[in-house]
Amino acid sequence: MGFDVAQGPELEDEWHNFDALNVPADHPARDMQDTFWTKESTPRVPRTQTSSVQIRYMEEKMKEGIEPPYRIIVPGKVYRNEATDATHEAQFYQNEGLVVGEGISLAHLKGTLDYFFKEYLGEESKVRFRPSFFPFTEPSVEVDVWFEVPGKEGRWLEVMGAGMVHPQVLRNVGIDPEKYQGFAFGGGIERLIMVKHSVPDVRLFHAGDLRFSYGFDIS
Amino acid sequence: MKTSRKWLQNYFEAELPSSEAIADALTFHAVEIEEVAGDLLDVKILPDRAAYMLSHRGVALEIAASLNLVLKEDPFRTPPPDYPSTGKLTVELEGEEKTHRYMGALVEGVKVGPSPSWLKEALESVGQRSINNVVDATNYVMLNIGQPLHAFDAKKLKVKDGGYAITVRGALEGEKITTLSGEEFVLPEGVLLIVDRNADAPLGIAGIKGGTAAQIDEGTTDLIIEAANFDGTSVRRTAQALKLFTDASQRFQNKPSPALAAYALRDVLALIHDIAGGTLLGVTDVYPMPVTPETVSVSLAKINALLGSSYGMDEVRTALTRLGFSYTETEDMFTVIPSFERRDLSIPEDLVEEVGRILGYEHIPSTMLPPLGTAPNQYRFRGIERIKDFLTERGYAELSTQSFGVTGDIELANPLQLNRPWMRASLLPNMEAQRAFTATVAPRVLGPASAIKLFEIGNVFTNSGEVLMLALGISTEHKKDAPEILKENVATLEQELFGTPVHAQYSLDGTMIEMDLAKVNLEKLGEDYAPVEISLGAYQPFSIYPAALRDIAVWTPLGTEESEVANLILKEAGDRLVRIDLFDRFEKEERISYAFRLVFESKERTLSDADLDPAMERITAALNAAPGFSVR
Repeated sequence: MGFDVAQGPELEDEWHNFDALNVPADHPARDMQDTFWTKESTPRVPRTQTSSVQIRYMEEKMKEGIEPPYRIIVPGKVYRNEATDATHEAQFYQNEGLVVGEGISLAHLKGTLDYFFKEYLGEESKVRFRPSFFPFTEPSVEVDVWFEVPGKEGRWLEVMGAGMVHPQVLRNVGIDPEKYQGFAFGGGIERLIMVKHSVPDVRLFHAGDLRFSYGFDIS
Repeated sequence: MKTSRKWLQNYFEAELPSSEAIADALTFHAVEIEEVAGDLLDVKILPDRAAYMLSHRGVALEIAASLNLVLKEDPFRTPPPDYPSTGKLTVELEGEEKTHRYMGALVEGVKVGPSPSWLKEALESVGQRSINNVVDATNYVMLNIGQPLHAFDAKKLKVKDGGYAITVRGALEGEKITTLSGEEFVLPEGVLLIVDRNADAPLGIAGIKGGTAAQIDEGTTDLIIEAANFDGTSVRRTAQALKLFTDASQRFQNKPSPALAAYALRDVLALIHDIAGGTLLGVTDVYPMPVTPETVSVSLAKINALLGSSYGMDEVRTALTRLGFSYTETEDMFTVIPSFERRDLSIPEDLVEEVGRILGYEHIPSTMLPPLGTAPNQYRFRGIERIKDFLTERGYAELSTQSFGVTGDIELANPLQLNRPWMRASLLPNMEAQRAFTATVAPRVLGPASAIKLFEIGNVFTNSGEVLMLALGISTEHKKDAPEILKENVATLEQELFGTPVHAQYSLDGTMIEMDLAKVNLEKLGEDYAPVEISLGAYQPFSIYPAALRDIAVWTPLGTEESEVANLILKEAGDRLVRIDLFDRFEKEERISYAFRLVFESKERTLSDADLDPAMERITAALNAAPGFSVR
């Protein structure tokens, strides 16, 4: 589908992790993610989302004088300061997607995700959107995917947040939102693997235990 | 926000559908629902809609829009009355940027007592406690339309020049207050306070919680009722500093409109009059900079361009009407005049969302992206994958471990695990720990391999920056072999893959190494590389109990295949056998000796000899019974 893979630092400054994504200091939206902060003179954050790389990628391209179209995915480690249990881990991987260009729409987001999930989970899967809020997208949606385990009843799973890139985010990196628009999505990778392969506990992924890595049937 | 279906019903003539049906409609047209339990609907209000939806009225409006129902009456569409002013209450704001509006109403002659049962029930239905009629009235109106309110016992304030005086000002150094819940706070300087100016005594922490000084009690007869609008940022910072989060602070931090105060004062005065009596003497309203909403415009073309839809004017009209918006049209342009409570509508995209969600995202088509002319750049990612594949092919297993460490250069201010407060500065501590752990599970996972080889690729964080590192760790049956094997592997990696020696640090005993990948040209490595793909099936959970090992060796006639022996063993071993590996085979005097290592595991407990002996006896007997076989 033509996506670059972009990467960026895990220890991020406040601008890239929050402000450039339309999450100013003292905004209630900062409560949506439990954040670690460093004890530095200018505190940084182990990034709470791979969305920071959207900003870095677009900043860099614009500095090089390269305007959209952009298509990237950003797989990478993110951090949340929350108590861990079978479905919560303080460190996990997200996959972020960003598409910016002329005439990119929410319908393209649906088409892209439909295509991905049919490939990843099976032909019968499909996505649906529910209204939501993220400071860096407008409109914002939650994405559910229909998943059928053979022999079981199908169900809808909440798999990612997404939306149309907020014009302020484009302006923050010097892109003209009158000319270009785009979509972004981001969701946990472990959760998808857990669903697809019946992994019972997210904490298994980064415990360095080979019984986990070797615990999958090779099909 | 906990809401009650019965309470919401007040907004509708026709009977509302079931809680589940309401939840479903809100889920697909407005907001997420956390929980439905009988009449209770716990609605998850995110920051964008919090200014108007942290209230039954806001949720009712969204139900009406989502289900295409008509509201009986919207309290915000009847303007509040003009109240007489009173010289008996003066209000003064210090630092107007922190208080956008302060309305104080002076009411005399109320009778404080228990609330009527409908009010008690309403509050209890959403998890609140009834206190007395006056306090309950303020809470009810807050939960109903979203404006925090507070009632003070006027007679507990000092009278000077024939009246009461309230000042809103920053706390002085060391100033203290005891809140209604009995906690005493020593306030940071500047925290916004409601103060009885005549006594210079604090009455409450602005926008967060009232104090005991002018608390309503059974003897209260005269009230000062506050309907104010405090700056959201200021309230948020104070709530965080004091770790005091209340229904009021939650609402103010989301910046509701200062216009809301007048509607809430109207409603609470009416309710108090009904259930506690009394006479309104007048209202003092300090509102230095009245806010008027600005119009927002969006074209039909823009709506369709963002949604990828092909809606017509009529469909957009339907959506805007269902939301109760006032709007005008010029050609294909819709101009919405947001009502005062809708603080979330400021750019065209906001209206696109409103239209999209009300008409329903299920109508958005699924469209493929147009092809791009250029090849994607995935070189760096593929370069890293190439290193991983290279090592995997050479018998290494990949680890992924946590990025927090017991030591490091960069410390977290708020670590989750107090013993790991640092961002890791090296991959080796985790490598060492996991190598030791792997030794305990290796027979189960790796079989009787002679060496355990592990690697991890991950970022480390030092004072000189964040770097991608590769760590390798080895342990072998004969300790002295490990450094030699590692050195050989590193040399192969450098020669065959990196094409250059890289900066690296061996552990003291030479069995682990950490290599800095900053200087490796990962893009170039990945240029023409397609990573290995493995198709994984279902995950088979391992037992939390340790595996048990048993070895068995057997003489067999020449020509006997390994699989024949293994099958005989498998047949008798029972379902606790999880792994079987051949670890030795040799021929001598026209016979072949096969030696197998069997790994047993139980999901229920650690296995003992008593558990395993019967299986081993059955296996031995079965092998001995085969012609020409003899267990050694």
